[in-house]
Amino acid sequence: MKDTIITGKRKKIEIITLAACFIIACIVNIYAIIKFNTSWSEVFTSLGYVLVFSVALYITWSIIRLAYYLIRNLLQRRKDSN
Amino acid sequence: MKTRREFLKISGSAGLLLATVPWFSAFSDSKNTEGEKARIGVIGPGSRGQFLMSFLVKNPKVEIVAICDNYQPSIDEALKMAPNAKVYTDYRKLLEDKDVDGVVIAVPLNMHHEIAIAAFDAGKHVFCEKAMAITPADCLHMYDTHKRTGKVFFVGQQRLFSERYIEAMQMVHSGTFGEIEGIRTYWFRNGDWRRPVPSPELERKINWRLYKEYSRGLMTELACHQLQIGTWALKTIPNKIMGHGSITYWKDGREVFDNISTIYVFDNGVKMTFESIISNKFYGLEEQILGNKGTIELEKGKYFYETVPPAPGFLQLINDVEHKLFDAIPFAGTSWAPETANENKGDYITGKRPETDGTSVLLEAYAEAVITGKQPEQIAEEGYYASVLSLLGHQAIEEGVILDFPDEYKLDYLNHKRAIQTTL
Repeated sequence: MKDTIITGKRKKIEIITLAACFIIACIVNIYAIIKFNTSWSEVFTSLGYVLVFSVALYITWSIIRLAYYLIRNLLQRRKDSN
Repeated sequence: MKTRREFLKISGSAGLLLATVPWFSAFSDSKNTEGEKARIGVIGPGSRGQFLMSFLVKNPKVEIVAICDNYQPSIDEALKMAPNAKVYTDYRKLLEDKDVDGVVIAVPLNMHHEIAIAAFDAGKHVFCEKAMAITPADCLHMYDTHKRTGKVFFVGQQRLFSERYIEAMQMVHSGTFGEIEGIRTYWFRNGDWRRPVPSPELERKINWRLYKEYSRGLMTELACHQLQIGTWALKTIPNKIMGHGSITYWKDGREVFDNISTIYVFDNGVKMTFESIISNKFYGLEEQILGNKGTIELEKGKYFYETVPPAPGFLQLINDVEHKLFDAIPFAGTSWAPETANENKGDYITGKRPETDGTSVLLEAYAEAVITGKQPEQIAEEGYYASVLSLLGHQAIEEGVILDFPDEYKLDYLNHKRAIQTTL
């Protein structure tokens, strides 16, 4: 199996992406608390749901990025072969 | 199996318990009775008797010194549990035995009265399986004889000693569930209630529950346990009784009903119902106490408030989005999002699934009372009313009338005042 290198830049991007997903999930939780007029303690008590939602967002975003790179590579190969 | 000692640890102080369950005064001298033994004679060590013996033999304060039965297979089984017990085939001989301090009576219902009276008169303490007797008059006679002789008297109402029932009653009495508006009890089974009979002449002896000469059927064998819950919860005795009974399914020669419904009306209009069908078991058994703020289901050991807190906002939002996305799509399958409708799963009364029904603690209390010779408060009265209510239910069914609780069977207890002092 081929060795792969995860660069420092890539790691930084992924950490920032995950943090952004977590912040978005927190904002969604706050929006839900306001919309459904529930207790503000849910900012903490719903952290479990927020974390699950963050990971779901991160995975979704990763799939979108993967699809983008795949399509871009395919187009690039086709262009190079022409 | 929970012992009384473990039970006290869970329920807090003994003083707190006594305020709620006065019959726990049976344990007030338990430290002073260490090393002493209640010498018990078991009259009727059949299936129920052996069940009771299984607890008694584990209690270091109990010695089963005698057993009495006229059915050899029961004697053989009982001797496996209490090999040193003397064996009698006539209960009168057992009652003459000076080594016996108290008796446990677990014979067919029609014999309870005769044996209990003889036991009291012989100076023995008495634990009698429920129901107390086959008629209200016999119950009253037993109660009065207990009072006259001053001997300890317990009836096998084990729920009075069950941890979850006691905690539930504490909640009910403190107003946790608001005003109690109704009590529903039911016991559904799907079976013929028969036991295997080795030879036909033993049919009535073994399946005595099915014949009116020996039993009042579902009312005395099942309702008796559940009706007592109502008087305990409301601290009052219902004064109107009505009902209907029939044999609808098990038309096999039995004489007692297999399909019963009764209503007991308290003075404030609140009703307690008992229903039993033994050809359908879907709903099982339950005692439900319905308050305007909540409900308790005692057999499941759970309680439910009327208003349920809403789901967290985050879940509501996900549910909202999911409904907007998928509600219009006819082929959308089962929801992947948490359901936020007011599903009320309730909470366990003791914080966990029910384990025991109180029988072990009930028998520990009896052993303590036999040793000290002191009658715990209210235990005889609770047993008396549970039995008389079930018997009056049977009478209402048989006569097809709405009965008023007869004055002649009232004790000085709760909302009742004794009208007639019986000459003993």
